[in-house]
Amino acid sequence: MSQALLESLCVWMPELVLSLGAMLVMLLGAVSRTGMTASLASWLVLAGSAATLWMVQALPAGTWFFGLIALDPFSLVFRWVALGVVALVVLMTHGSLEVERTWTGEYLGVLLLLGAGLMLMAQAAHLLMAYLAIELVSLSGYVLVALARDARSSEAGLKYLLFGALSSGIMLFGMSLMFGMTGELSLGAIRHALGSLAPSHQAAAGVAVVLMLVGLAFKISMVPFHMWTPDVYEGAPIPVTALLSVGPKAAGLALLVRITQALAPVWEAVAPILVVLTIVTMTLGNVVALVQTNVKRLLAYSTIGQVGYLLIGFVVNTGLSLEALLVYVVAYLFMNLGAFACVVAVCRDTGSESLEAFRGLAQRAPSMALWCTLCLLSLAGIPPLLGFLGKFLLFGSAIEANRTIFAVAGVINSAIALYYYVNIIRQMYLEAPASPVPLRPSRPLQLAVSVCGLATIGLGLFPAPLLTAIGQTTGTLLF
Amino acid sequence: MILSSLLGIPLLGLITVLLLPRTAVRAIRMVATGATAMTCAATVVLVTAFDPHTAAIQFQERLSWIPPLNIFYHLGVDGLSLSMVALTGLLAFLACLASWSIAERQKEYFVLYLLLEIGMLGTFMALDLFLFYIFWEVVLVPMYFLIGIWGGGRREYSAFKFFIYTLAGSLAMLLGILALYFRAHTFDLLELAKIGHTFPVGFQQVLFLAFFLGFAIKVPIFPFHTWLPDAHVDAPTPISVLLAGVLLKMGAYGFFRIGYPLFPAGAQWFAWMLALLGMINIVYGAFVAMAQTDFKRLVAYSSVSHMGFVLLGLSSFTPEGMNGALLQMFNHGTITGGMFLLVGVLYDRTHTRQLDAFGGLGAQAPRYAGILTVFSLASLGLPGLSGFVSEFLALVGTFGVWRWQTIVSVLGIVVSAAYMLMVLQRVLLGPLNQRWKQLPDMTGRELVTLLPLLVIIVIVGVYPLSVLALQEQGIFGLLAHVARH
Repeated sequence: MSQALLESLCVWMPELVLSLGAMLVMLLGAVSRTGMTASLASWLVLAGSAATLWMVQALPAGTWFFGLIALDPFSLVFRWVALGVVALVVLMTHGSLEVERTWTGEYLGVLLLLGAGLMLMAQAAHLLMAYLAIELVSLSGYVLVALARDARSSEAGLKYLLFGALSSGIMLFGMSLMFGMTGELSLGAIRHALGSLAPSHQAAAGVAVVLMLVGLAFKISMVPFHMWTPDVYEGAPIPVTALLSVGPKAAGLALLVRITQALAPVWEAVAPILVVLTIVTMTLGNVVALVQTNVKRLLAYSTIGQVGYLLIGFVVNTGLSLEALLVYVVAYLFMNLGAFACVVAVCRDTGSESLEAFRGLAQRAPSMALWCTLCLLSLAGIPPLLGFLGKFLLFGSAIEANRTIFAVAGVINSAIALYYYVNIIRQMYLEAPASPVPLRPSRPLQLAVSVCGLATIGLGLFPAPLLTAIGQTTGTLLF
Repeated sequence: MILSSLLGIPLLGLITVLLLPRTAVRAIRMVATGATAMTCAATVVLVTAFDPHTAAIQFQERLSWIPPLNIFYHLGVDGLSLSMVALTGLLAFLACLASWSIAERQKEYFVLYLLLEIGMLGTFMALDLFLFYIFWEVVLVPMYFLIGIWGGGRREYSAFKFFIYTLAGSLAMLLGILALYFRAHTFDLLELAKIGHTFPVGFQQVLFLAFFLGFAIKVPIFPFHTWLPDAHVDAPTPISVLLAGVLLKMGAYGFFRIGYPLFPAGAQWFAWMLALLGMINIVYGAFVAMAQTDFKRLVAYSSVSHMGFVLLGLSSFTPEGMNGALLQMFNHGTITGGMFLLVGVLYDRTHTRQLDAFGGLGAQAPRYAGILTVFSLASLGLPGLSGFVSEFLALVGTFGVWRWQTIVSVLGIVVSAAYMLMVLQRVLLGPLNQRWKQLPDMTGRELVTLLPLLVIIVIVGVYPLSVLALQEQGIFGLLAHVARH
């Protein structure tokens, strides 16, 4: 017994470091008010977590904590993504005006906890674990959104909380139905039980599945559960918006994929709805983004559109499509955070979140404008950037699985999306700047933007290592 | 390695320009011009080393690039692409000389310019479909900025329209590429050409259509041509030269390299449509050009008309027609490239492009008048100059196949003679507009940009075999390939 616990703890070391580190950072924040120590500590925690995650990679795949979490290559990718998101957001935070005011250990501590939650979501192999992980991410999210403590931020936090609580409740209801029918909570056992379910119970199982999907659909802003997204994104401090636009989306998709494997017996009944919703999600996101004038709202809708692309990988549900999903998640991490980092710098300088604030950025901050342009073009899917490769694989997997409709819809959406992404680039390069003063983003912010831009083009030009690493992960999902 | 060096030299230039401070304008210009000049010289070496007696791919380079997806860095040239590579090298160098008049943000300009050159050359040399698509798309981004920042008129609108239109076309092509890959599991164009004919006819037709959309917007084929007049007119002169001279050829080249060899059944099924669209391009383009009062817009529409001959020749599946089509691509690049340079020369001095604002410049600027006359006559298809040869070949080749389309197309030549002579009359003849009494004649640099083109036009006009010999084995090979299947 204790032996199994110890071994499980080893596997879980990265999360353990993060959670304990989060407590420590909060304490430090309370002790010293400058935030410097807390910030330093959070970097140490992140480094520690990354180091342990590196070592965990070598461990054999399997389920741990008596079947609560699964260690497999698929979850490892998402754990790295979660760490990457948190690290980049911490970097961004150093340049953000909104968070600096409330720059305390609490913020960083909650951020690290959220990171632990994201990593857990990717590994959960048990409904209880899944629920706990989602709630950890959600609760940390509510706190972070409301962090700025002004009217806008509080409103956003409350909206997020209300929508989130409602969808959590629905999801919990679905889980309880599932438990009632199968008597099981572990995904592996559920799959087994569903396979031998009486035909009369099939419909009820379908209802349970749909209800469970609702909660996750909320997390990943899938239409029709996307309504909170623009308001919350607009109200939240920008680094938090950046975090929400990538972290929970990636982790939510990971959990969706894993749960779907378990629900394979009733999956056929649910898939057609998801096909429609996927296409609606990307189309709605991209079309509404066209008319946005606030950058944060624009990126919120763009996120919805991007989630639509990611959902292709999930709905098609073949080895290649999951591989494509992983590639696109990695691409999305860099390109979206790069764009947000640029928004942080611009907002800090101009105090405005409107598109016009980007005017003439190419002359005020040439290198940042360049990196930002690369990220935006990657979001739009222009080769040879990483986003293009991800889309290429996603659409390709759809065609391979004879779901050409996804590829067609995705391609049309890419053309629509080009409009608003290029509109930002137009502001940066083609318009004259409002003030000729050079814009100098803080060093951490500059670092965040260049890391994202470099990764977008570097991995786009030489994707072989990434593809090889990800190619080993598919077909090995455990629960 | 010579093909890689064609991409490497501009890339090296690009990096050097990036490293120079933005105030070192002279150095930036020198580096960019030096890089394009060396690339041009390398294309000359390529042409002399090229063996015209074979249809095989020469100077092949093949390196594994993305092994998990079976993607290769695969370059090569044959008769179909050699003249295009040479044309690109030459025009990129001449237009770079013409870019010396760019007065602001030179560093960004030349970086984008060199990136554009890499994209254009790569498109003509790539033998891997994925690589081809990347080069094809890489062209879009610098072009957007080059029109949008340094253009005139409604430059932002035009740049954007260009970007959206061509991207929409490329995305249709992307769907085709994906469908192709998941059937054939290779991106190698040579491999694909070998197995393309084994695909079901319906599949070939759908794929040909998908690629057709991508190519048609680039060519541009009526009714996808509406981006062209805006982009050509609002782009700065050197970029108009490259747009008309090289970018339009990328679309037409796509038919030679991908559309025909990969989907022979699709191409034959669609040939009547190509003939019809070619005819519409020729006649419609010519009539619209005649109605223009803006010099540059007139030249832009004349491009639509001239590219129609490429389509017409393509639709024939005869050696004469196809040879004419490929030669027309080369000739249109030199003639229209020169015409845009000439429009630019005039615009730099007068800041107007309205045809009725000129008059009597023949006496005021005799060198300009002489050169403009030769280019206009070449454009209208005067025998002895290059335009005539290719248009004649295209018409002769097509006449036996698509009779009435060819007959109607000849009408286009008559109209183009009308508007080109009208240009000469309005600009050069008549009483001198007193506003231009002080108008200086062409400078040495401007002459340098135009004379090479002039020489080529005359040589090809008098001795067409100089270019035809290089390309005909490629055409014969392609036709034999299509006929076999």
